[in-house]
Amino acid sequence: MAKIRVLVVDDELIVRESLVGWLRKTGYDVESASGGKEALRKLQEAEYDLVFLDIKMPDISGIEVLQRIKEQSPQTMVVMITAYGSVETAVEAMKLGANDYLMKPFEPEYLLVLVEKLLNQKKIIEENIMLKEQISKRVRYQDLIGASSCMQELFEIIEEVASVDSPVLIRGETGTGKELVAKAIHAKSERKFGPFVAINCGAFPENLLETELFGYEAGAFTGAVKTRKGRLELAHGGTLFLDEIGEIPLKMQVDLLRVLEEKRFQRIGGRDFISIDFRFISATHKNLEEEIKRGAFRKDLYFRLNVIEIEVPPLRERKEDIPLLAQHFLARFRKETNKPVNALSKDALLFLQSYDWPGNVRELENAIERAVVLAKGTVLTKKDFSFLTKGFEGMDEQECKSLEAVEKRHIEKILHECEWNISKAARILEINRTTLHNKIKKYNLKPA
Amino acid sequence: MSHKSLLSKAPIAIFPLGKMGNLIPVVVAANIQGVLNIPVKIEEPREIPNECYMNHRRQYDAGLILRFLRDLEIEYPYVLGITSVDISLPIFTYVFGEAELGGRAAVMSIYRLDRDAHGGHVSESLFFERAAKVALHELGHLFSLYHCNNHSCLMQFSAKLETLDTIPLYFCERCKFLIQRIIYQNPQKP
Ligand SMILES: Nc1ncnc2c1ncn2[C@@H]1O[C@H](COP(=O)(O)OP(=O)(O)O)[C@@H](O)[C@H]1O
Ligand SMILES: [Mg+2]
Ligand SMILES: [Zn+2]
Ligand SMILES: [Zn+2]
Repeated sequence: MAKIRVLVVDDELIVRESLVGWLRKTGYDVESASGGKEALRKLQEAEYDLVFLDIKMPDISGIEVLQRIKEQSPQTMVVMITAYGSVETAVEAMKLGANDYLMKPFEPEYLLVLVEKLLNQKKIIEENIMLKEQISKRVRYQDLIGASSCMQELFEIIEEVASVDSPVLIRGETGTGKELVAKAIHAKSERKFGPFVAINCGAFPENLLETELFGYEAGAFTGAVKTRKGRLELAHGGTLFLDEIGEIPLKMQVDLLRVLEEKRFQRIGGRDFISIDFRFISATHKNLEEEIKRGAFRKDLYFRLNVIEIEVPPLRERKEDIPLLAQHFLARFRKETNKPVNALSKDALLFLQSYDWPGNVRELENAIERAVVLAKGTVLTKKDFSFLTKGFEGMDEQECKSLEAVEKRHIEKILHECEWNISKAARILEINRTTLHNKIKKYNLKPA
Repeated sequence: MSHKSLLSKAPIAIFPLGKMGNLIPVVVAANIQGVLNIPVKIEEPREIPNECYMNHRRQYDAGLILRFLRDLEIEYPYVLGITSVDISLPIFTYVFGEAELGGRAAVMSIYRLDRDAHGGHVSESLFFERAAKVALHELGHLFSLYHCNNHSCLMQFSAKLETLDTIPLYFCERCKFLIQRIIYQNPQKP
């Protein structure tokens, strides 16, 4: 354990000497300061566990020093030292965050008890903070990364859902991580030793999707030389994940519903029924209720799928996860490409957090990969991500030939992204606020 | 080189301060010799300088007494003053004793040692034992010892008689080792 660090602040030498003496004998690492200014300087230089602070000092009052300490390092314990007759100030100080006070002279035993009590409190507070950090620092759940509260909530939901065997429908925009969620559910479930079989329903033309799912018997159609198992069969004992379920053609929706209800099926061209047992998870970025209204999705299938519904939030709603994800992808692509790119600059991180990510985590992943591949230095800066803003909405290459025109459009875009938060926009543009104001005037920019 | 020859000359001197019987210095010296196994010399009594008296507190300032002892023109590496007056520090209401950590001078008072919690007198043997404990504790500080968390150790901080009475008249193994190291390494400390 590191030595406890104590600072004694008092303008009276004898008080400093005797208090410092006692604290040293107790084995603490003790420093002293003869006034408020010196105290503030020492507090800047090092972290203290405990500060004894005289209320009355000629240069800066103890109360002011107290406020600064509590601003800068709220965990530091502060004991005010007062002389007989100034208890009110001490009580005032307690309201401002002092942890206790001592009235000179005090019983030596009292000092011992007080110091032990405060250091104990501090330990408990610190343990609590550490615990909270540990809990909230569960930033990785299976392959999912996220420290934001919505992702933490999602992890908890997955944990709960994993233990029941019912169908799950995962909703969310493309690239938000729906497949990873499905994998996490599988990995956390009792079927984790069985297979996880995924198929993207949007990736196949109708007839191919059918053969993929159901398989076929030899001779079922021209080209079906050998019998082939479909994904339904392959998923036996494990989890079947149908991505983009909204893309399944209506006719196949009937077949799929039957499989889910009867837990058996026939291969294409086959006569025997094959029993299967798997957990069913599906995902979609579409609004299935709308699809039902449009007649493009069957209501009965919808009710079959949607026993448990999980929503994965878009990346723009959890921007605090962006640095974490960016670092994660950077580490991955550094390894894959073997390029010595090992960090993201502050301005790069700020920029990544200001971008809207319509393609969500996948877009971020691709952006980092592209930046790493093209990077010239060891640190990725904002410049390395300039491709993200090139050719943005309405940017007409012909219209924007002049530098001014490009500047105008760029400032307009950044202002829009920052919701006209001038400070933020100025920071991203790396110009000061006054310059930004002037440019807004010059180009006559207005919020859309 | 044997310890005996190294320590043939007493490294610790006891100075009775002000009026005080012969008995306490002798008892304290005997206990120091017994526990630490080093010779102790009892010197002629000295008066506490007037400037050590805190009028408003009606007590003597232990810090100033230490300064007085430290500046005495004597050859002993360690000095222990014993007094019967009430001593204290500016921040404390009273102290049993005080010493410079790793320094030369220590002082102790028997003023509060001869009573029980209710103000009645205690047996002479308990009184002597307390005095010996305070003396050895302060000497421990002179030998650079910090307060010890071991409840069976003289170096445990005890500001109350109750605590003083529960700690034993010996150092724990760790503190004993640290003291021995200092005494035998450097018997002729400045
Ligand atoms: N929370 C996350 N942590 C780490 N990687 C993620 C996360 N979410 C998505 N990804 C990555 O982003 C890409 C897109 O995820 P995916 O699950 O295919 O999204 P969706 O199925 O919603 O389109 C994948 O490469 C995936 O590994
Ligand atoms: Mg996907
Ligand atoms: Zn002590
Ligand atoms: Zn000890």
